[in-house]
Amino acid sequence: MVNLTINGKAVQAPEGSTILEAARLADIYIPTLCYDEAVEVYGACGLCVVEAQGIPKLLRSCSAKVSEGMVINTESERVVQSRKIAMELLMSAHDGDCVAPCQLNCPAKTDCQGYVGLIANGEYDAAIKLIKNKIPLPASIGRVCPHPCEKACRRQNVEEPINIAQLKAFAADMDLKSDSYLPECKPASGKTVAIIGGGPAGLTAAYYLTIMGHSVTVYDMMDKMGGMLRYGIPQYRLPKEVLDKEIAIIEKAGVKLVNNVKLGRDFTIKSLKEQNDAVIVAVGAWKSSSMRTPGEDLEGVYGGIDFLRAVIQGNAPAIGEKVAICGGGNTAMDACRTAVRLGAKEVYVIYRRTRNEMPADKLEIDEAEEEGVTYKFLTNPLSFNGENGKLKSVTLQLMELGEPDASGRRKPVPIEGKTEEIELDSVILAIGQKLVAEDVAELTLNSRGNIEADPDFFTTEIDGVFAIGDATNRGASIAIEAIGEADRCARAVDAFLNGQALDTRVPYISKRDESTIDYSDREKKERLNPKVLAPEVRNKNFDEVSLGFTEEEAQEEAKRCLECGCREYFKCKLLKVAQRYDIMPERFKGVMPQKYTHDENAFIERNTAKCILCGLCVRSCREVMNLSSIGLLGRGFTTDVSPAFSLPLDQTNCNNCGLCVQLCPTGSLTEKFALEKQVPLNEEYTEEFVDINGKQASVKVSRYNGKVLRVIPNDEISRNSGLTRDELMAKVIK
Amino acid sequence: MRIVIGQGSCGIAAGAEKVRKALLAANVNPADVSITGCIGMCYLEPIVDIYDDDNNLTRLVKVSENDAAAIASFVESGDVKAVENLVVTDEDSEFLSKQTRIALRNCGVINPEQIDAYTNAGGYSALKKALCELSPEEVIEIIKISGLAGRGGAGFPTWFKWNAARQSAGDEKYLICNADEGDPGAFMDRAVIESDPHNLIEGMLIGAYAIGAKHAVVYVRAEYPLAIKRLKNAIAQAKDKGIIGENIFGTGFSCDFMIKAGAGAFVCGEETALIESLEGHRGMPRLKPPFPAQSGFWRKPSNINNVETFANVAWIINNGGEAFAAMGTEGSKGTKVFAVTGKVKRSGLVEIPMGKTLRDVIFDIGGGMKTDKPFKAVQMGGPSGGCIPSDLIDTVIDYKALGATGAIMGSGGMVVMDESTCMVGMAKFFLDFTAKESCGKCIHCRIGTKRMLEMLERITKGEGKEGDIELLEELCYSIKDGALCGLGQTAPNPVLTTIKYFRDEYEAHIKDKKCPAGECSDLIEYRIIADKCKGCTLCARNCPVNAISGTVKNPHVINTEKCIKCGKCYSSCRFGAIVKE
Repeated sequence: MVNLTINGKAVQAPEGSTILEAARLADIYIPTLCYDEAVEVYGACGLCVVEAQGIPKLLRSCSAKVSEGMVINTESERVVQSRKIAMELLMSAHDGDCVAPCQLNCPAKTDCQGYVGLIANGEYDAAIKLIKNKIPLPASIGRVCPHPCEKACRRQNVEEPINIAQLKAFAADMDLKSDSYLPECKPASGKTVAIIGGGPAGLTAAYYLTIMGHSVTVYDMMDKMGGMLRYGIPQYRLPKEVLDKEIAIIEKAGVKLVNNVKLGRDFTIKSLKEQNDAVIVAVGAWKSSSMRTPGEDLEGVYGGIDFLRAVIQGNAPAIGEKVAICGGGNTAMDACRTAVRLGAKEVYVIYRRTRNEMPADKLEIDEAEEEGVTYKFLTNPLSFNGENGKLKSVTLQLMELGEPDASGRRKPVPIEGKTEEIELDSVILAIGQKLVAEDVAELTLNSRGNIEADPDFFTTEIDGVFAIGDATNRGASIAIEAIGEADRCARAVDAFLNGQALDTRVPYISKRDESTIDYSDREKKERLNPKVLAPEVRNKNFDEVSLGFTEEEAQEEAKRCLECGCREYFKCKLLKVAQRYDIMPERFKGVMPQKYTHDENAFIERNTAKCILCGLCVRSCREVMNLSSIGLLGRGFTTDVSPAFSLPLDQTNCNNCGLCVQLCPTGSLTEKFALEKQVPLNEEYTEEFVDINGKQASVKVSRYNGKVLRVIPNDEISRNSGLTRDELMAKVIK
Repeated sequence: MRIVIGQGSCGIAAGAEKVRKALLAANVNPADVSITGCIGMCYLEPIVDIYDDDNNLTRLVKVSENDAAAIASFVESGDVKAVENLVVTDEDSEFLSKQTRIALRNCGVINPEQIDAYTNAGGYSALKKALCELSPEEVIEIIKISGLAGRGGAGFPTWFKWNAARQSAGDEKYLICNADEGDPGAFMDRAVIESDPHNLIEGMLIGAYAIGAKHAVVYVRAEYPLAIKRLKNAIAQAKDKGIIGENIFGTGFSCDFMIKAGAGAFVCGEETALIESLEGHRGMPRLKPPFPAQSGFWRKPSNINNVETFANVAWIINNGGEAFAAMGTEGSKGTKVFAVTGKVKRSGLVEIPMGKTLRDVIFDIGGGMKTDKPFKAVQMGGPSGGCIPSDLIDTVIDYKALGATGAIMGSGGMVVMDESTCMVGMAKFFLDFTAKESCGKCIHCRIGTKRMLEMLERITKGEGKEGDIELLEELCYSIKDGALCGLGQTAPNPVLTTIKYFRDEYEAHIKDKKCPAGECSDLIEYRIIADKCKGCTLCARNCPVNAISGTVKNPHVINTEKCIKCGKCYSSCRFGAIVKE
């Protein structure tokens, strides 16, 4: 045995071992991408470099042998710098998306491609499980979310984005129809968490912390849980029965729900902190913002969310026949469509820009118009005019669009001297909502009047007190934003309860340059929307407008997905190494070495644009299988892995053993799933044995949600059996 | 009477074969006409050496086939007047007379296609001495005393490698000659093989004897067909004489010879990539350790030396290690051959003792600059080397001293540059070469050199930005540290040395969007100075894109929108009226 020191730890290794082998024996991690025991050492990736005392050069630990008394550092500054630049260079030439843009653009990082793909395959229960990893209220969110995912969906470069939100609602509705999915909770930790506010943020944090084994109680000031989902969104968009069912599941998971208790009245943050191990403040923003327009105090002027809440609670105010709504967001849409349903004859939406600049969802804008709403674009209220303290009319300043402002939208500027007056019975100000500052007197507020919480750790100035949602930082936003924060905050709180601090920032992810993507080979296929109630029917009642997808519609729509994210995301070794180092590949941005390709045979897909040239495929084919069906072609930056004589793989002597795919450290070579629509899934692998010609042969079986996805030969017998994947699969499933 | 025509590739390219045929057609005695290899003064080819019966030499240079009659007349009459205008000048003669030739001692002197010419010049006496009088250990000791170091570039002591291979267990061993001379601008090895192939064979056989190898392999690039032809011929002749094969000189020592033509990858000059290629694989470096001395060709102990290294061996055995060590400096012994090219007046092969200075090579022997533009820098060691600026012209030729400048001795390529050379462009040129020649195996070299090249391309296009120099440097040091083989580890040298000595030029490109040398076409503009223009219309007639307008005897104007910056107007103007800015 040879004695050496690695990172200050005394290590023994057999004579002739490499430093890498010695480190692995001692459980010391050294990253590698081109190393595998199955083949000879190669030394291409250079990530396994270490520093040895007294040796000026960095050593590649995969080949350098140990010697007596050697002093090795596997994480010195020089070593880390070398690996970091290697990874930056590698990723600068790796043309691939780890995950799809829809997922990246979702504030909650929901695996949209995953559940869309599962729905396409009819795997609804797997889809809901995937969704519920990130969203505990998917039936509700699917209905109300302004879906940033769809804004990033690349299908719009072909014709229109995938209807991701409605597909989510579909999967969630399927789940609500029978025994709803309830995840297993971890064993009780004995820690307690109090959450103030039972809106989407509070409920989400409560759900995930409960699953993590903590005892969680949600305190809410209203009669029922749900927050703005319940009291800010009209029934015709989100039936409260759906929300009730989803909250019931959260309760069933073990969350304790306490209503009609109010912060500052019944308890304080500090009092909760004294009784619990951690507190999350998720109180939301419950005050309508003012426009600072003269006459706002007149009778007949309502705040947007106040109005919606009153209607939902059955206390609809008498708004009369002529109603105007100020604002262009989704709350304005909710308010105007509610006003229509309450029987108003003339409903105006006053917005200072044009239809194109409206932040509200396009569908909402259109549906409101169908229901009889009149848009007053390029107008801004100058004053609300009243008589005897009661609103009579509004004077509008006419506007025109000027230069683009900081948001990139053209700035509306008043047209000097041009005004218009409209007679009104009531006006609803839907221009924003704010935190009720008095409620959180224990915390210092920022310049915007919101709670200042760390954007990645969610900590506040009080130890053990976290804050999320509309009440924090930049103020009110969409529900999915609050849910995303809540999910990350739950993990941060869990870490805190274990005595750690967790940075919840999304680590490095490889993204393709959008401008280089070619869609010309994609066939156009129209986007499907669920059927809706006819305008003349729906504008008279509060029945849900959308009828939801049928199963056939859902599957058809889901099949439109372009499958942007990488199928090997969950087991990509390249990404795991990249995320270990604080890399900035954009420093070395340049041309890509290979064209983005799709080359496939019956079960393998090849994409050389993702290849990192570790050579494992080429070497294993040569050294282990003795076939040399693939080789390296070209020189320098454009070196490429290619089947022999650049033929399609099927025309070489490849016997489909799959070893190359198994060893590929990234998604350049992947084996297809036994699914009609391919989906990146976090499979579980087990080794199993099958009978091949009377011999016991080892295969690796990947399963997801109980379904066999791939069967991969795993020893000499299975690799040389000549059986197709389907035949192997049949042996496993039989 | 002998008429000897220089027929290295350089001579043949200049027309030496036509000259030979013309001479044979003229009235000279065919028996008097013979050939030799590269004489070394490539800039004067074709060269015809005429020895009278007393062996007095008259050297005729830049000969064409039209001179055949005159030469025949000179041969006939002995009256030099007939060829007066062809006789080499005293000044040009100094190009050779100032050199000390050991490796090149027979080049341009003997006929490379006749073994007798070699033996008559004392050839194979060293082999006989080694095999008959010396033990392998004694041979290694002599080489140790000589201080001979690897001439391929790295300068590793030859005796040490021989000894390591000798000490390696196993009786199947290989001696390999690396003749994959790939540096742009280097042609020493080609000259040796074309001009004195037996010298290489003799050196290799002595080496094979020293390490105990029964097999000798020459890995020579396929782009050297003449070298391969002459080497094959020499091997056949040596076999016929019993110098190659079984029981050489009756000593019991046997060694066979094989030639492998490399398919033209620069990286195959790296010894482990060379071995991969020899074995029939793609030329990619192997990890070291194990070193070839332990596990090389077919995983057997192997020793690899460069052509020039072997070319010194026979001389050392004959003259003693001490005689070789008497030349040079403390750390660098013997002589070194340089292939001097570029903006220098006299280009060709220069062999001089170590310890001389760059000035000796470039100015004393090379004759200084070709044009009136002052000397700016010299690139040593090709794409793996670095540049040395004019104020370090007195640097001594010594492994250490050259290394201290950031350049390397290298295999001997010396590209001389004057003030009209853009140093950023020069670095870009060499990096373009290494990036394309990278085998693609390791990340640092495959992607790193490409990204460096992209940065340099941006800089020379005027798209450089603040921080680019620092990022280049960071990448350079990382590639030096992380690349797998010598190709990658040395690829950043041209960039690092140009940044070190010419940082202001980089800054001018990046900050001012100017190329001080006026070479980067994206950063220059041609303009006619109206006062100086005579209206001769020459520039307008020379312009390939009709970007120059004007009437006779009136000042012309360049349309900069149309101008493609080819520089034809600039070089055609006889009045200095066109400026490049």
